[in-house]
Amino acid sequence: MRDHLKYLVSLVLSLSLSLASAHASIRSEYEVKAAFLYNFTRFVTWSNGVTVSEPLDVCIYGDEPFGDLLAPLRGRKSQGRELQLRYPSVVADIAGCDVLFIGQSQSRNVDELLKMAQSQKGVLTVSDLPDFIRKGGIVGYVKQGNVIRFEISLKAAIEAGLTINSRLLELAVRVLR
Amino acid sequence: MIGRRRYWRLKTKLLFLTLFTSALGIALVCASLIFVENQNYRKQLESELHVIAGILAEQSAAALVFEDNQQLSSIIASLKRIDTIRQACVYDQQGNVMTSLSGRQQGQCPSVGPSLEIGFVGDAYRLLMPVTLDNEVVGQLFLASHLEVLRGHIRTFVFVASGIGAVILIALVFLALRLQRIVSEPILKLSETAERIAQDHDYSIRAPVSGTDELGRLGNTFNEMISTIQQQNRRILESRDSLERIVEARTSELSMANRELEAFSYSVSHDLRQPLRAVEGFGQALEEDCGDQLNDVGKDYLKRIRAASVRMAGLIDGLLILSRVSRQSMENQTIDLSQLLEEITEELQGISDEVPTEILIQPGMWIVGDSRMLRVAFQNLLANAWKYSAKEEKRVVQVVSRREGRWVSVEVRDNGVGFDMRYIDKLFVAFNRLHTPSEFGGTGIGLATVYRVVRRHHGDISATSQLGEGASFVVKLPVAEDQG
Repeated sequence: MRDHLKYLVSLVLSLSLSLASAHASIRSEYEVKAAFLYNFTRFVTWSNGVTVSEPLDVCIYGDEPFGDLLAPLRGRKSQGRELQLRYPSVVADIAGCDVLFIGQSQSRNVDELLKMAQSQKGVLTVSDLPDFIRKGGIVGYVKQGNVIRFEISLKAAIEAGLTINSRLLELAVRVLR
Repeated sequence: MIGRRRYWRLKTKLLFLTLFTSALGIALVCASLIFVENQNYRKQLESELHVIAGILAEQSAAALVFEDNQQLSSIIASLKRIDTIRQACVYDQQGNVMTSLSGRQQGQCPSVGPSLEIGFVGDAYRLLMPVTLDNEVVGQLFLASHLEVLRGHIRTFVFVASGIGAVILIALVFLALRLQRIVSEPILKLSETAERIAQDHDYSIRAPVSGTDELGRLGNTFNEMISTIQQQNRRILESRDSLERIVEARTSELSMANRELEAFSYSVSHDLRQPLRAVEGFGQALEEDCGDQLNDVGKDYLKRIRAASVRMAGLIDGLLILSRVSRQSMENQTIDLSQLLEEITEELQGISDEVPTEILIQPGMWIVGDSRMLRVAFQNLLANAWKYSAKEEKRVVQVVSRREGRWVSVEVRDNGVGFDMRYIDKLFVAFNRLHTPSEFGGTGIGLATVYRVVRRHHGDISATSQLGEGASFVVKLPVAEDQG
């Protein structure tokens, strides 16, 4: 009788443990967003005559939601260019950025930032702010249920002088033309 | 198997040879075609699948990195139109199944790893293609295609190839049946001709010859040999005929001469008697009637005349006997020689002188021959033994017989005066005498008669002697077949 109890207890324990590990494998929202951020760079072509040897500057603006989730991106290569992470603190500092991620904390500064980016040309703007692409952004995260997806403004991309791979467009929830 | 084939007919052998070789060739060609076709089809299938997989991998790269399962499913769903694809799975970087082709009877997607078998496995072709993005592997694409189409294709190919092979083979059977005659016909004709010649002994038959190849040469050589045999046969027959003619002619000539000679010698002997009897008769009459009118010289002459006439009568008798033993037909029978010799010696002892005589005749001697002739012969031999041993103190006459292979020899030995071996050549010739009439009386015909009798019995006679030591005459007669 005692043996049976022991067996039951161990079974319950091992079950709960395996469930815990399964939970651990489910990635957090920003983990997915960080991966997406990197993947966006792989399907976008910068047409302003950059060479492979130049690093690809990824700027994170606003209070940092990623924590150290972006750390693995440092030094990785996208289309042959090495990724560089920058955390500019003022708008003026975004000069030279190839990718600009705008955090949710900057919802009031979006227009200013976008204007700055548009004037600079060749900046892929990414944000998880709602309606980001309507405001003139290029790629915006959207959440459908539990799944993170994205939408793209082709118009804004063309204005910024960027070419977006059709494969990426196929995957977009919505494409603004 | 090969042993049995040896008894096949030439035609069968040739047909077998041709058909076996061509069937083997056709089979090999078919087999290699099938093999090559199989390889080609596999390669084609492989490359097709690789192209499909490549396109799919390229299409699904973005969806993979953005983990868009919906998009992946729709990409993979395009494979539904390809019937041969049995299974399609997409894995992410970690090897987890992202999506798989639905609506097909299939097992679970196999787990990616070194244990995953790639290529032609069982009845499927499996392919695992990495999905790359900027040279970075972002996932894997697995495709499995069943090989039923390949199997069906190869099966059809095998059927068609065997069908064509069979048709070709049937055509070859007809062709070989016709073509084998080129080789077999001359050989068969040659063999038939040889058999006919051997059966009929007709050497005028010739084998038909066509062409100048080895068979043609064989036929020509055969014909030449046959004509050589024919010529030689003709020559042999001709020479045999001429020989026969010659022999016939010679035989008739000889027999005529022989007959003439015998008739002559008979008539001579016969006719000579007549005047001799007159001489003897009137001699006797003269002695009886006019004896007292003759003086001693006259009486002596008369006595000599009468003695000469008696000797001449003996000579004529001998000649008559000689001619008779030459002419007489032979009646062969088994003769008790011992008894015959006993009779002769009794006769001889009856007319004999006073010399004590010891006669040793081996008992139980049997010979085969004409009894009258043999009696004459042995009478002569014994009489000679008697005569030439008359001057001894004691006469010893011995007759012994020996068997020597196919011959039986009878030896007559005496202890008389013997003769000089230098004159052995003249011993058996008529009218040749080794002693003077004053020593021993005689006609000189006796041994010639003996010789003639022995020769007519296909035998032989020989004599050995030493002067004063007696003589030995050996008569050799052939043993008759039925005589033990």
